[in-house]
Amino acid sequence: MSGIDIGLVSVLAIVVLIYAGLYVPIALGLVSFVAVWFLRGSTDAPVYLVTLAASNSLEDYVFGVIPLFVLMGLLVSHSDMGRDIYQVANQLLNRVRGGLGVATVAANAAFAAITGVSIASASVFARIAVPEMMKFGYRPRFAVGVVAGSSVLGMLIPPSVILIVYAIITEQSVAALFKAGIVPGVILSLAYIAAIVAMAYLAPGYVGAGRAIVDQGDSPSHLPAGEIVAKTAPLVTLVLLVLGGIYGGVFTPTEAGAVGALGALIIAAAKRKLDRSALWAVLVETGHIVASILMLIVAATMYSRMLGISGLPNELGEWIGRSDIGLYGVLAIYVALLIALGTLVDTTSIILIMVPLFLPIVTPYEIDLVWFGIITVVGAEIGLLTPPLGISCYVIKSTLTDERVSLKDIFAGAFPFAVIMLFVLILLIAFPKLSVGL
Amino acid sequence: MNEPARQTVGMTGKPFSVLLSFLNGAGSVLIFALVVLINLDIVARFVFNAPIGGVTELVELSIVAIVFLQIADAIRAGRLTRSDGLYSRLCIRHPRLGHGVGAVFDIAGAMFFVTIVIGGIPRLVDAWQRGYFSGITGVFVVPVWPVRLVVVIGALSAVVVFLLLAFRNLKGVLGKQP
Repeated sequence: MSGIDIGLVSVLAIVVLIYAGLYVPIALGLVSFVAVWFLRGSTDAPVYLVTLAASNSLEDYVFGVIPLFVLMGLLVSHSDMGRDIYQVANQLLNRVRGGLGVATVAANAAFAAITGVSIASASVFARIAVPEMMKFGYRPRFAVGVVAGSSVLGMLIPPSVILIVYAIITEQSVAALFKAGIVPGVILSLAYIAAIVAMAYLAPGYVGAGRAIVDQGDSPSHLPAGEIVAKTAPLVTLVLLVLGGIYGGVFTPTEAGAVGALGALIIAAAKRKLDRSALWAVLVETGHIVASILMLIVAATMYSRMLGISGLPNELGEWIGRSDIGLYGVLAIYVALLIALGTLVDTTSIILIMVPLFLPIVTPYEIDLVWFGIITVVGAEIGLLTPPLGISCYVIKSTLTDERVSLKDIFAGAFPFAVIMLFVLILLIAFPKLSVGL
Repeated sequence: MNEPARQTVGMTGKPFSVLLSFLNGAGSVLIFALVVLINLDIVARFVFNAPIGGVTELVELSIVAIVFLQIADAIRAGRLTRSDGLYSRLCIRHPRLGHGVGAVFDIAGAMFFVTIVIGGIPRLVDAWQRGYFSGITGVFVVPVWPVRLVVVIGALSAVVVFLLLAFRNLKGVLGKQP
């Protein structure tokens, strides 16, 4: 077998093993180990590869950013700030048709600006927004669909752990990717909001409660102006500190993560939402998430070195160059593969499998790799909403205690939002300026 | 990140579980220490115009330590990333076959971490015998061997967790309730 054959067989083996249920880092790591063994003809090379990936490649200052932003996200989820933002958004939007749905999207977008983990958004808003919408007569399917759809904003609007992972493996700047995520995040939020309002007018039966809540004379919350300020101040402070600090050039992303984590800790403690045992539980949870993300990166480093040794990506690149399908042809194939993988595999794993394979293919087209990163993240996130294993949908199902909502309802409800994401993705591909124009 | 269905091993009260809790606790403390350290550095830089030396080196080494301190406990808690949509269906329809496949997966996991141990030991010995350090001489110096020791201990613990998981799955194949 030639190197390229070995590379091709390895990629297929990895995908099959992951689908079968083998742990993703183990699949990436072991298959790469065996492949390099075949390619080099001795076990010395793969053992060297493993150890280098396991310690040397992690010894980088930029990795510090991951535990810090994960910790910040978990602290923020613990601090009831999600509920506060949602109450304020309801107050401001309750004159709009489908207002509670619009408020869910708006609150999610704001929440996304202080947390970097989609799963956190999905579980927080499943607890807060779904019961509220159902109380006011929204159909369960629509309510869970809105929460699932808007949970993906968490990974697109900075800070975002997924954008950090992409930045690390492609050696782009974390700050540049954070900057590039803003406009696409806002566009996606606005598209969701437009769709919700349109559904409330055109398909009131599907939404359930078409009318604005004020008309029913029973507004969910009457917040005095002072309370609105009190409820939004922590959020605004964190956004200014973290994102303001990065964009203003005051902090490195790692420092901004540390400042944000400390800020979220102080806010949670001040709101008496965090005692010692809760803080310990958050730290342990952070450790588990960080260990699993960084183990994926370790294994992905091995995989991408293995691909390099096999020569497969270069060969694919030349082959695609000869076939003359052009950049948009390549991107169409890429997005289709991202969505297909996304139906079963989590976003971080998809990015780590696909990006090393496609990076050498798109490089000759001299594209901006920051733009490519935004396309990758949005494309991979569509899969979070689609069966059989849209992870956001599963998280919502496991968070909701309401037996009336089935997993099927969640997937059906999320489907319109997955379609909207695809449209926004096409828009982002057509107009790179939307991501990298700032 | 975290998958819906989780596979966990209960190992409370045994010495190994005490070790896992200790490693995991040390990792959690280290994450908190990172937050404090970086914030102190920022305050020192902006308020006193005197950045703390060696923060970058400490952050770099801490990341490796955090991963390997936490990995065994993360595996035990079923938090290692996997796509178990098809696998959990197999486990419901054909429980014995499911346990068999699960055992194979766990042994594969053990093998992967064995390769890390094999590669990690010579690097630990090197760092210890030759006194490798990170940082700049005269400014800030930190020895590298403790982190490499953590890599070996963490990977070894991960091997043990995977073998325990495999053992439990094999008991399932024989039809005994684990």
